[in-house]
Amino acid sequence: MALLEVRDLRAGYGSVPVLHGVTLDVEEGSNAVLVGLNGAGKTTTLLALAGLLASESGEIWFDGQRLDGLDARRRVRRGVVLVPEGRRVFPALTVAQNLRLGAWPRRRQRRLVGTALARVHGLFPVLAERRHQLAGTLSGGEQQMLAIGRGLMAGPRLLLVDEASLGLSPKLVAEVFAAVRQINADGVTVLMVEQNAGVLAGADRAFVLQKGRVVFAGAGGDAMQKTLWTAYFGDPLAEPGRR
Amino acid sequence: MWTFLVQGVFQGAVYGLLAVGLVLVYKGTRVFNFAQGEFGSVAAFVTWGLLLHTAVPYLVAFVGGLLAAVAMGLLVERAVVRPLFAASRLILLVATVGVALLAIALTVLAAQPQARVLPPAVAGEPITVAGASVLPQQILVLVALAAVAAGLAGFFRTDLGLAVLAVSQDPVATRVVGINPVMLSRVIWGLAAGLGGLAGLLQAPVGIFTPGFMTATTLLPAFAAAVLGGMTSLPGAFAGGVAIGVAQNLGIYLLGQQLAVPGAAELTVFGLLLAVLLVRPQGLLGKAA
Repeated sequence: MALLEVRDLRAGYGSVPVLHGVTLDVEEGSNAVLVGLNGAGKTTTLLALAGLLASESGEIWFDGQRLDGLDARRRVRRGVVLVPEGRRVFPALTVAQNLRLGAWPRRRQRRLVGTALARVHGLFPVLAERRHQLAGTLSGGEQQMLAIGRGLMAGPRLLLVDEASLGLSPKLVAEVFAAVRQINADGVTVLMVEQNAGVLAGADRAFVLQKGRVVFAGAGGDAMQKTLWTAYFGDPLAEPGRR
Repeated sequence: MWTFLVQGVFQGAVYGLLAVGLVLVYKGTRVFNFAQGEFGSVAAFVTWGLLLHTAVPYLVAFVGGLLAAVAMGLLVERAVVRPLFAASRLILLVATVGVALLAIALTVLAAQPQARVLPPAVAGEPITVAGASVLPQQILVLVALAAVAAGLAGFFRTDLGLAVLAVSQDPVATRVVGINPVMLSRVIWGLAAGLGGLAGLLQAPVGIFTPGFMTATTLLPAFAAAVLGGMTSLPGAFAGGVAIGVAQNLGIYLLGQQLAVPGAAELTVFGLLLAVLLVRPQGLLGKAA
């Protein structure tokens, strides 16, 4: 049984439907990527998984239990943690305070919080150096690291990472992706939403989202060409090389 | 004139206390709360009623008044703020005006539209402070303001306090980290109402009080104080309160006593509020929006 099972998920904003039945499975310990054009519903999928957007129908199963219908707080407690698009760090709080709030669901378990903090500082030494700096004064790359670090503080089993590469230089993108790979290697299941196709090469599994549906699901590296083809040209059957 | 300035500091402490509640609610929920003064009026009337109709000691009646204010805050949060949370802030603002008017009407029904007297928490003859004659109760207000400032500074170092600051910066992100937004909203309104109640309980014994007295006499100077402090700055609200109190008394002295201008106190507060909004709308300690 997969750690995350999504069945025919439908969601949208007000009267505007965005997801028209998303179905996907993410295995425990894997590193999955969701790609697709702007407006395909990638961010909407993650918001619905994190409980920030109510789903209209469909089922979300996490570790054998239903998630849909639970609020965001309860999903975080179960280990489904979102690193949101645009980072959304608390700008007028320090780096240390941001990380402290990340540990909110288990704030009374001091030892676990301490371990998590050491891990985040190990992964992103710059966050340790700048722990007394206001988050709003960090560079874009540092804010992204802080957003990921804040997510780790909750002790996630499944980390949902939304467009971590957005607006970053290629060097920083490589750094951030390396950190996410490390987090995955440490045992956290990862589902990333990306426009940056580079991430597909290292993914265990890739999903292509188109107009609110998963139109292709396959293994990461081998599927790169196919998924790209599908994402940008639309027809999953019209693969390159198939005549 | 010196006497007026010193008196202004003490009067301003009440404005500061009320302004802190305004800023807290504004920061946390982006609502201009016109009902903030009524938390104080209701608290004063509950304490007055307890002292009149029961034999409880003053402290118990005082705490009873505070709890009534907190309960009112939680009720407003549940019955008005939460159902309207997705509505525009203007609708919420008008709703809080409605809450204030309703509270005043209910106090009139319960206690008659008469001036009442609440005994001071600390009794005694006026004391001379820096050449000005000040009631012990007024000194208590200043002490309370300092204690509230220290208490809030401590509160904002706790996890819950950090969460309150965080929700004022990015409400969505507080949900992302798993904080219950309803719980936070309750904490903010309960705390603000408690501070409003404290302001009312400390102000009422300084003179006589009537239904709606905090809204009529203290809410607008407190708004001016909050705006002067930048609307989102708690230290700014404290300092703004004292500054407004001093300016108001200076106005009473210069305009009222020297030039015999009627309504000098109100004129000064409104003039200052207008001047701040025109010249420096972000306030003295606030950030540009």
